[in-house]
Amino acid sequence: MLSVADLAKRHSGAARPVFSSLSFAVAAGEIVALVGESGIGKSTLLNCIAGLDTPETGAIRIGRAQTDIVRLDPAGRAALRARQIGFVFQAFHILPTLSVEQNIAVPLLLGGVAANERAQRIEALLARVGLSGFALRRPATLSGGELQRVAIARALVHKPGLILADEPTGNLDPRTAGEILSLLLAQVRAEQAAALIVTHSQPLAMRCDRILTLTAEGLR
Amino acid sequence: MNTLAAWLIAAQFARRRTTSLLSLLAIALGVALGYAIHLINDTALADFRQAMRSVQGEPDAIVAPRDTTGSVGLALVEELTRDPAVLVVAPVIEVRVRVDQHALPVRLIGLDVFSAPAVMPALLPEGREAQASRAILDGGVYASPALLAKLALAPGDHLSLWRGNSRWPAVLAGQLPGSRPGDLLLVADIAWVQAHFGPPAGVGEARIRLAPGVDATRWRQALAERLPSDLLIRSDDDDSARVSNLSRAYRVNLNVLALVALLTGAFLVFANQLTAVAQRASQFALLGVLGLSPRRLMLQILGEALAIGLPGALLGLALGHALATAFTQTLGGDLGGGYFSGSAPTIIARPLPALGFLALGCAASLAGAAYPAWLNRQQDLAQALKSGFAEETASSSARHLWLPTVLGVLAYGLAQLPPVGDLPLAGYASIALLLVMGITAAPWLTQRVFAAGAELPLAAHQRIALQNVAQAPLLAQVAASGLIVSFALTISMVTMVSSFRLAVDRWLDEVLPAPLYLRGKATPLPDELLAALRQPDSPFARFEQTMHAALALDVQRPNVALIVREIDRDQPEARLPFTGAVSQPPPTQPVVWISEATQELYRLHSGQRVRLPLLGREIEVFIGGVWRDYVRQFGAIVISRSDYERLGGRFAASDLALWPQAGHSATAAAWLAPLAARFGCEVADAGEIRQLSLSIFDQSFAVTHALEAAAMLIGLFGLAVTLAANVWLRARELATLGALGFDRHMLSQAVILEGVLIALVGLLIGLACGIAIGAVLTYVINPQAFHWRMTLSVPWPSALAGAALTLAAATVASRYAARQATRLPLAQILADAQ
Amino acid sequence: MSRRNFLRCALLLPALARAASPTTVSPYPAVVPGHRLIFPRDHGAHPEFRTEWWYVTGALDTPRADIGFQLTFFRSRPGIAENLHSPLAPSQILFAHAALSLPGDRLRHSERSARANLGAGFSTSDCDVHIGAWQLAREGRSSGEIFRLRMHSANFAYELILEPTQPPMLQGDDGYSRKGHVPGLASYYVSWPQLQTTGTLILDGRRHAASGRAWFDHEWSTAILGGAAVGWDWVGINLADGGALMAFRLRDRQGSTVFAHAAWRQADGLVHRFDDRSLSFTPRRFWSSPRSAARYPVELEIRLGAHVLRTLPLLDDQELSTSRPTPLTYWEGLVKLEGSFNGRGYLEMTGYAGHLQL
Repeated sequence: MLSVADLAKRHSGAARPVFSSLSFAVAAGEIVALVGESGIGKSTLLNCIAGLDTPETGAIRIGRAQTDIVRLDPAGRAALRARQIGFVFQAFHILPTLSVEQNIAVPLLLGGVAANERAQRIEALLARVGLSGFALRRPATLSGGELQRVAIARALVHKPGLILADEPTGNLDPRTAGEILSLLLAQVRAEQAAALIVTHSQPLAMRCDRILTLTAEGLR
Repeated sequence: MNTLAAWLIAAQFARRRTTSLLSLLAIALGVALGYAIHLINDTALADFRQAMRSVQGEPDAIVAPRDTTGSVGLALVEELTRDPAVLVVAPVIEVRVRVDQHALPVRLIGLDVFSAPAVMPALLPEGREAQASRAILDGGVYASPALLAKLALAPGDHLSLWRGNSRWPAVLAGQLPGSRPGDLLLVADIAWVQAHFGPPAGVGEARIRLAPGVDATRWRQALAERLPSDLLIRSDDDDSARVSNLSRAYRVNLNVLALVALLTGAFLVFANQLTAVAQRASQFALLGVLGLSPRRLMLQILGEALAIGLPGALLGLALGHALATAFTQTLGGDLGGGYFSGSAPTIIARPLPALGFLALGCAASLAGAAYPAWLNRQQDLAQALKSGFAEETASSSARHLWLPTVLGVLAYGLAQLPPVGDLPLAGYASIALLLVMGITAAPWLTQRVFAAGAELPLAAHQRIALQNVAQAPLLAQVAASGLIVSFALTISMVTMVSSFRLAVDRWLDEVLPAPLYLRGKATPLPDELLAALRQPDSPFARFEQTMHAALALDVQRPNVALIVREIDRDQPEARLPFTGAVSQPPPTQPVVWISEATQELYRLHSGQRVRLPLLGREIEVFIGGVWRDYVRQFGAIVISRSDYERLGGRFAASDLALWPQAGHSATAAAWLAPLAARFGCEVADAGEIRQLSLSIFDQSFAVTHALEAAAMLIGLFGLAVTLAANVWLRARELATLGALGFDRHMLSQAVILEGVLIALVGLLIGLACGIAIGAVLTYVINPQAFHWRMTLSVPWPSALAGAALTLAAATVASRYAARQATRLPLAQILADAQ
Repeated sequence: MSRRNFLRCALLLPALARAASPTTVSPYPAVVPGHRLIFPRDHGAHPEFRTEWWYVTGALDTPRADIGFQLTFFRSRPGIAENLHSPLAPSQILFAHAALSLPGDRLRHSERSARANLGAGFSTSDCDVHIGAWQLAREGRSSGEIFRLRMHSANFAYELILEPTQPPMLQGDDGYSRKGHVPGLASYYVSWPQLQTTGTLILDGRRHAASGRAWFDHEWSTAILGGAAVGWDWVGINLADGGALMAFRLRDRQGSTVFAHAAWRQADGLVHRFDDRSLSFTPRRFWSSPRSAARYPVELEIRLGAHVLRTLPLLDDQELSTSRPTPLTYWEGLVKLEGSFNGRGYLEMTGYAGHLQL
């Protein structure tokens, strides 16, 4: 579902590359944790995979068609993200001006899903993330855990092949973090999607299928 | 996709209700003003043209004398009628007469019922053709219904028509059913008019309808070539051009003012959208990450602007229509400009111009959003998602003075260029460049002011705040630009109007030498009146007579006034306000003195010999000097009575300037009043005329002052909005300061200080640009558009008072922004920014 | 323009005019017997008389057979503005009317009007009258005299030269032509039949050479129509043998003849005159106008003593409506004459389209 080959990235003007010759793959239904020290380049790697940053060399193939996101222009990358990738962020990033339901609907709208199917899928997902009855609520009235549940629903609603999560529990208290992690893992598995989760949390990493550690020398 | 766009727009409106509404109103105001001015002028022009057509008909050609006191000879009329290419020649004699004792001068049109139906059907008398023809041929006079109502006359009444010394006791035979409502007209047979009021051996003009299939243009050209020099041939196109020339410069000026309103609206949209983009940078980035393509993201921002611009423009159209209707009902079709008299036409909207103004409103809003949209596109998605809007430091290269310097030099160069087709287009371009110059000078000055401010012995938080603005001045510039534009425009208008008013005031002193004036309102004064003034019991020591006529020097331009005055041809400077030296005329040659407008429109100069179509022939005259005239925008020529009579002209004064005998100044006016009233004349003393002139002047600039106020409000509002946006953009910086121990009060103070300094920058540049633009208006626009020259005088007290007031208002606006600062969720911001 | 009805209008003009005008009107001269006409002076205008007309009718053989044409100039002295000190005073007014009858086509017509000195004029020494570019003028040439005729309108125009083949024909008693039994109802009346016609005809913008025969009438008077008469039937025919026939009658409301007169000049110059007793008009076929609903006896049987003649119109619809000086509908057109002698000329019938609206 995701295969990274011979990836290298150097910040402009920097003498040393952030990373080089990175290669790994995540299969459908596999949940992989990406760990490493701060500043080692986890976010840069994630940005490259999401097509928000461009590596110096290498290929990042996504989805059944194994499209190389590196070769796409910004519009093509956006389209690929809209179809194939679901995101969960540490800071939730729920649009404050839209309702819960509207927030979850955004990927469906980008994919051009019809209104009645949209409503069905959102309702179903809200139930799965334990937010039944929250459809019309405003984000400002939600707790951090609830916001992240909305984010998980949004990441899954368009049935992407790949889920990218960046410290999904970083802003949550330990109890809520555990609940959210369980939910995320359960739902990703239910969808048979591939997932790459960047985290500092050892317990979280332990619950994934596989752990990749990014060091200055490369992946371990 | 569209659903998402609609959700975001609706959400944006709900969140920024006040700002969006004000932006919408500003666009509406700009569109409304522009559209109203367009409608009023369009309607007034159409109305004027139609009024002209109803009286003149729609002939294929008109042959007329160049000198309004002249005529078209009967031999030529006969020759024209015998041309096989001519279907009908409709001769006309038009004079202004008085009816009985009524003071109102009325147009009396003498026509020929045999030819008039083919050219001027609207002027035909009522009743069945045969009877009406007989009655009018037998000397019957017909009046328009409006005139009947005004003078309380009825068919069958006997009335005395008179002009100067000529009287015609006539019978009112009936009405003119085809005349337009409001037209004050008398129609009679051409022979009867000629027998009583002249001209002796000709007709006033010949209106020609050509036979079907004749090439009118070629026919007119052929005729023009063999026409005697005292006559001219006009077409309908010439008349339209002349009517449109009449108010063109005035119209363009008002439209530029409307454009200014629209520009300020666009600026407000700009400020609004820039703020919106800055505030929602991370939201837009999220949408980008989730898969909204960059293009659609940009369209989203433009769409939001359009969501303000479109309803704004629609509202503007409705408002403009209402404004136009209200204005024409109260001020008439010329907004008090005095170009079209006495009409209150009905506003008729046509779809194309309405669509044009709709598009203009939308374009203004889109233009306002273009830069924010571009700026948003430059944002790095991952970066913006994490930490919001990031200001590029690339703008530091703009902080040099070379760009404003180049613009200033260009503006100066443009101001030196001549008009394009009588319009000061280069002058307008120069003004636009001066504004851009002011805006581009803002970064440099902002940096200087804030860097200098940071050096002041201020509290640490304030120094840091100032230092930050000096480093990243983008929004400070935006805020300042709004003030620069609005203050510069206001100062420029105030400067121009005050210079003009001062000049008019001085000029009135020069052109009103006598204490008392009597005006015959375009009809000659009867000898009886003049004789009474010469009686021993008359309290007047002396009086000077003036006769008015007009010359058509160019068929496409309004006529040039010909003023015959009792003036000493060797001492004209005693009566005329010359702009330069007076040239001594050769003793044998007639001398004329031309107004500045004549000089510029016809490219004449003092000391030149020129051939003028005077008194039925071409006469070479010497131009003795150029005098200042703030009244006749289309030119005036003064000739002395002695020269005029020497050339064979019949002097028939219509106006008098009177000097009472010593000791009689108090009683003279009272003595004159009943005499003047008997002949339907008007008496006014110099003070009254002066007061009236100045009040007309003030009235005609009333609209300008309203626009100045609107521009200032918009500028201040833009300042408030951009300062608030600035607070949002620098949230992290402020939050850090907060974390370092600055309390909310200190933060608020820092923001207010920033605002005041930004306003100061805007006002300084605005004042400088305003004076420069005022100079362009005074020295370029006014002379080129209206041929009015004057010296610049900057009204420092009002300019500085305005600046102080604006600064005070800016402080208030900054407090609004500061309130935003105190409401920042500092902890949240710091948490997000990890 | 019907000349007879025009007369009636002209008669009414001064009456209306006097009601509003304080100006004194110099009297109109009377038409008296025994007045000797002198030419070419009497081809010119007689502005002191109330009314006058010059009237040319004819038939063209080229460019097509049996094209009828007609051009009339009327002069009226309405008796108004006579003392007005203006060269433009409307004391003499001119009207002109032109028509063209094309067999198988419709009747085309056009009119002009103007006051003398303002787009129109006339000579008092010879025939020369014009309104704008329309003109009828006599010219003396070494080869003899001719009339020049010129008119143009939107869809037809002609410029013709008329050459006399015979001397003029003085109607009535040496030009004194009675119009009723009452003395004073009379005109001076000169006809000039059998005019050889050549020139140019312009139809819808295309020029054609034209030739044919024409008839010229010149008549001036102060009072003609009187008593019970409501309309006229009139013919002027160039006979095939070189002779000429002029006949008219005035009808009353019932259609009976009030007054009638005819003159037949043989080719050799011998003139026969007929009055009420030896002259009769009998309708033989009517044509009803779809526009005015008037019923015109387009085929008239004319009896001149023992001679029986019949008019045969070349086009039934030769009805005209003119607007000036007063709205008028009448029939005026080219007819063939058959019977005791044959010829071609003009028939004019007025007073059939309701009452004359004056």
